[in-house]
Amino acid sequence: MTNTIAEFFYQFEGFKSLVEGMNPVTVSVLIIIAAGALVTVFMATVGGFGTIAERKISADLQARIGPNRVGPYGAFQLIADGIKMISKEDIFPRDADKFLFYLAPFICVFGVVSTFAVFPFGSGIALSQMNIGVFYLLAISSLVGVGIFLGGYASNSKWSMLGGMRGASQIISYEIPVTLSIMSIIVLAGGLSFESVLASQSGLPHNWYIFHNPFTFIGFFVFFVGGLAETNRAPFDLPEAESELVSGYHTEYTGIRFGLFALAEYMEIFILCGVAATLFLGGYNLPLGVLKGTVPEQFLQFGTILIKTLALYYVVIWVRWTFPRLRVDQLMTICWKYLTPMAIFNLVGCAVWMVAFDGKSMFDLFFGH
Amino acid sequence: MFLNLLFLTSALLTVGCSVAVLAVKNLMHACVFLLGALIGIAGLYATLGADFVAVTQIMVYVGGVVILMLFAVMLTGGKDHVSKTQKLKSLIPAMGNKTSYLIGCLTALVFFLTQGYLVSKLLGSIEVQKQVDTFSPTVQELGELLITNHVLPFELSSVLLLGALVGAAIIARPRKARPQYEEEAEEHH
Amino acid sequence: MFGLEWYLGISLVLFFVGIAVILSRKNIVAILLGVELILNSAALNFVAYSRFVTQNLDGHIFSLFIIVIAAAEAAVGLAIVIRYFQINNTIHVDEAKELRG
Repeated sequence: MTNTIAEFFYQFEGFKSLVEGMNPVTVSVLIIIAAGALVTVFMATVGGFGTIAERKISADLQARIGPNRVGPYGAFQLIADGIKMISKEDIFPRDADKFLFYLAPFICVFGVVSTFAVFPFGSGIALSQMNIGVFYLLAISSLVGVGIFLGGYASNSKWSMLGGMRGASQIISYEIPVTLSIMSIIVLAGGLSFESVLASQSGLPHNWYIFHNPFTFIGFFVFFVGGLAETNRAPFDLPEAESELVSGYHTEYTGIRFGLFALAEYMEIFILCGVAATLFLGGYNLPLGVLKGTVPEQFLQFGTILIKTLALYYVVIWVRWTFPRLRVDQLMTICWKYLTPMAIFNLVGCAVWMVAFDGKSMFDLFFGH
Repeated sequence: MFLNLLFLTSALLTVGCSVAVLAVKNLMHACVFLLGALIGIAGLYATLGADFVAVTQIMVYVGGVVILMLFAVMLTGGKDHVSKTQKLKSLIPAMGNKTSYLIGCLTALVFFLTQGYLVSKLLGSIEVQKQVDTFSPTVQELGELLITNHVLPFELSSVLLLGALVGAAIIARPRKARPQYEEEAEEHH
Repeated sequence: MFGLEWYLGISLVLFFVGIAVILSRKNIVAILLGVELILNSAALNFVAYSRFVTQNLDGHIFSLFIIVIAAAEAAVGLAIVIRYFQINNTIHVDEAKELRG
């Protein structure tokens, strides 16, 4: 098993001979830069495919065909979209706050991309194995709220302003139930890192944390609903409600700046689904210990986490095209009167369960020795 | 090497952004520069091996305090009333008087000498490490300290936070304005 | 390579910038920005001393409490500012003299 991405590469003989005679510090710096670039490109691709998935799945749900002109089944639509966005005119509204207007999309993208530093794609396939990885991910992703608020404020438009205010207040509010339901998993795992969370789960569903006890089962849904609201997805897409606010906080953005906002949103959904899969659904663990300790295992693990994440991604899009949008007061009622008390109840329940049953899962209690 | 690089970038970010908070005219921009300074301080905590404090700093300030500040600036108009016409002379009474300059310089000199003497006396016995190389995870130890040695301030801070939450909610709650006719009736009496 | 003095120097800069912000700005929100800078300079000092001098985690705990208190202070302070603005339609410190004796 490997700890960092550098050690992962050192497993291969060809790589060893390639870097022979170089300073190990230089090698690790180069690897980290290369891996960071790789992850960013990978995430941009995921975000791009997110837009296609959205359009194809929505077309499927509404019995349409969807984009089908560019490439087989419209698969290269994202390249066409990208070229269109880059070559579009970059319009800057008069009387807008220039500095903040230019800064806002980058704050959003920075907040999302930084979360991938700790996300485990497989044992050892993570940029960093921070011992407070989960906490770091929660903290750095709150930058997105600042970006959305600044984007709305700087556009000097009523729609954008309302969208930005809604976005910031929504993200601040829903951070509480999301963090509390993650905390209940942390209580069970006994550590703030992704590794400690993953170590006590395994590939088969009876060891997943979602089925560990009744509180985590509720907690998963609290987390997922709160996460949907934090990423501004329907039915919580009030910041960009197109029937009320034109397009919300990015009404005035055109071209690649609008593209960065959209990309940040799709990448954030991906990371939300990934974190849900890692914390509650067993993460990258393979069942029955197949190929333990070998290199192919790491690639299989990567596939496992990708399948789980994309399944949840489908659910997110499915939810969007199924449920109607909420009103603002309903949104706040759901957060403060239902989700937060439930999350606190789950946290206390998990703590009591740990003491009462010595940390055993339901499966162990019923069928265990 | 990583550490030095991280220190230099964080220090530059912190100092540059905090000076910008002082220098810029627009309050919204000042809030954004404050955000930069706070992230820089989180980086400095990371170079000191304080991982938990660094992430808490980002969590509390970026996710909470800075967004609150931005909201407050937006809701109150964000005008800053720094007037360039006001000179220091009219602001501070004893400005431009030789005796007051002399007294001020003497006070500062005495102050610094006393401080220096006291600090050297107090710190003379303390051993300062030139460089500490090892980093260890702090989370577990911090948790144990918080519920053993520092349990009283820990519990008190929860009371403080509850008080702040309730207080902020009560203060900022829009109060019902008195109906117009009542005021008119009072005027007639 | 960078010892205690560097951290103390940065903390000093932060402290004096905070004081200067408090003295030069006339907007109450801007003054709260200065207060945040000062609190952060103190917290940075605590963590630096705990690494280079005492070698235990008491400094970390103190800076955690500083962060908690700064958050509470910001929440209550900004609530008061917004309420004051609703009543008096200004947050200029020189005009806030209702309670002056």
